[in-house]
Amino acid sequence: MKNRLRVLRAEREWTQADLASKLDVSRQTINAIEKEKYDPSLPLAFKAARLFEMPIESIFSDEVS
Amino acid sequence: MNKIIDAIACKNLPPRDIKNANIVNIWALIWAATLALNSYLSEFDWFSSTLPTLSALVIHATIGIAMILAYKRFLKQLDELERKIQLDALALSVGLTIVGFSSYSILEKAAMVPDLKPYHLIVVLALTYSVGIIFGRIRYR
Repeated sequence: MKNRLRVLRAEREWTQADLASKLDVSRQTINAIEKEKYDPSLPLAFKAARLFEMPIESIFSDEVS
Repeated sequence: MNKIIDAIACKNLPPRDIKNANIVNIWALIWAATLALNSYLSEFDWFSSTLPTLSALVIHATIGIAMILAYKRFLKQLDELERKIQLDALALSVGLTIVGFSSYSILEKAAMVPDLKPYHLIVVLALTYSVGIIFGRIRYR
């Protein structure tokens, strides 16, 4: 699954640790999602969508990287 | 090498997860200590009557159940990537142990290898579980 987490985070000048803290996960989880090594759970994806105030499909797409 | 050390030390996990992991580790140590103590006492015919045997069984099993509940709580509250790593490691550990022991039992029946002791099972489970966690942490770095 592809995602725009790194771009959205960079636009806000957040570090991975900042985003991890806001989403209540570890920095490794954010890193693995950004590198597309790990697909987040549905609750975490919704949490990210709420945080960035965007529809979930604007952040995550089911396109295979 | 640094990758492996970081993987073992579980750096950067949230404090809640580290605290829960430490609680599980403490229960596991107590559980292992009761197992070792029971094994030691059995050498001296400590368990020749029913009462000491039942007492040892109840204490060991109760501590074991507390350890399982602590681990369940740890998994439930754990960071989701780390939970996946833990569950993958458990699957690897159980799978390898079952396949390894069933294969070994064929050799054992043919008297080609020494008999297995129950603690061998615990050692193999613990080692394969630890290796699985380290590989998982390195994989998702």
